[in-house]
Amino acid sequence: MLERLRYFILRALRNMRQWPFLCVAAILTMAVALATVATFFLIVVNIEQLASRWTREIQIIAYLQSPPPAAKIPELMKQLESLPEVSSVLYVSPTAAMDHFRQRLGQDQSLLEGISEDLLPASFELGLHDSFRNQQGIEAVISQLEGILQVDDLRYGQQWLERFNNFIRILRFVGIFLGGFLLFATLFIVANTIRLTLYARRDELEIMALVGATMRFIKIPFLLEGAIQGFVGGVLSLVFLAVSFSLVIARGMNAIWLMPTDFNLVFLSASQQLLLVLSGVVLGTLGSLTSLRRFVRI
Amino acid sequence: MIQLYSVTKRYSRESVAVDDLNLRIDKGEFVYITGASGAGKTTMLRLLYAAERPTRGQILVDKQNISRITSAKIPYLRRKIGVVFQDFKLLQSRTVFENVAFALEAQGKKRFEVSKKVYQVLKEVGLEHRLQRKPLELSGGEQQRIAIARALVVDPLILLADEPSGNLDQRVTLDIMELFKRANARGTTVLLATHDDSLHRRFPRRVITLEQGRLVGDQRPNDEISTD
Repeated sequence: MLERLRYFILRALRNMRQWPFLCVAAILTMAVALATVATFFLIVVNIEQLASRWTREIQIIAYLQSPPPAAKIPELMKQLESLPEVSSVLYVSPTAAMDHFRQRLGQDQSLLEGISEDLLPASFELGLHDSFRNQQGIEAVISQLEGILQVDDLRYGQQWLERFNNFIRILRFVGIFLGGFLLFATLFIVANTIRLTLYARRDELEIMALVGATMRFIKIPFLLEGAIQGFVGGVLSLVFLAVSFSLVIARGMNAIWLMPTDFNLVFLSASQQLLLVLSGVVLGTLGSLTSLRRFVRI
Repeated sequence: MIQLYSVTKRYSRESVAVDDLNLRIDKGEFVYITGASGAGKTTMLRLLYAAERPTRGQILVDKQNISRITSAKIPYLRRKIGVVFQDFKLLQSRTVFENVAFALEAQGKKRFEVSKKVYQVLKEVGLEHRLQRKPLELSGGEQQRIAIARALVVDPLILLADEPSGNLDQRVTLDIMELFKRANARGTTVLLATHDDSLHRRFPRRVITLEQGRLVGDQRPNDEISTD
């Protein structure tokens, strides 16, 4: 068994040595194809990451029917803070609200003269954890608020959130559509390249069948070869991606097209990198398998 | 060893390559298959190593009916059969040794077995000093000898040769014939398709003649019986 495996691996490697041009062509095709798909993926992921930054602005303002007694405020704050979705709680008393309003009016403060200090309602401003800055998170908090506070009105940027959700939906749709198209084109190109490499070696396949080699014996080295080439192609695409990514960072290009200064471009995670290389292996093996069907006829 | 019962092979309605062929070839026989180009010699050989399936009729090889043989069983049939072609069908990117070893490796033989056997058979065909050469560095006669070595290295029950001397001069042809005779003397059944009449005049053996796919003659050296 081990002897068999060793033989198959040696033959796959020898085949690659004997046909270096075909081998390099297959590897480069896969590397370029994978790098293209991965670059596209990175762009979509980064846009999404950037977009999720905007949701930092999301907060819920609960206007109360009447200001709670001062003694009760710490308890209410505690209750609100204990909600799993909530990251910060700020109580704004009617006086504080009026002060804030006054400041915003600036030179026109005089307009407020003679107006009662507690005209504006008291409110709680709730910040949310990252993963809850969406419609569902907000709805979950609102449903719980009713048990804690006597709410008169709620503000959480409904319209903005709706538009943002639509944007993310479109981004994902375009991402999946273009990504799928790209993946399909990639598969097509890779399968054709491998088909060409096998076409050049059809004599070898024919002779193997003539001397009594079984289907498995003929196919395994070619599949291994496809897998090895896919692996190398995957690693190459990863290297290419990493180098171009670091060049983008080094040139400070993220500052040009991304507004928040504290935002760093996201690269593929370790598991995504592994997935990229594995995709190469799968691509190479599948490409060989589909093409072999055409050429190996016993 | 080989029996054909009413074997017909059609490629299309009009094109009949082999037509109602009935034939029996015993173990250890040496048989020439002759006829003009297009007579059906190659098709007959292709039917025997299951590169083609008959349209009608039954073919038995070593008591196995191969008329409807499944793809999975074909490799095992071919391990009993060595095939030699006019154009040698060698792997140009591999050495002489590798070309011959290939046939044994394909059958899953162990490495030490392979080396020993390949050397032995290359010595038999007189090419043991060319082990590491590539086929294109050798003459046509030498290339054909590699192809014969590849066919013989697996100790086949049957050796099929399709115009093996078609591309070779007279002297080399004699050498090649010597190799076939030696294999036959060891018990291998040999079928040699040729349109070169001088071969069976020089080495008289049973001669089967085909014409437009039909058997028109079956002559043994000692009898003058001819079927039509």
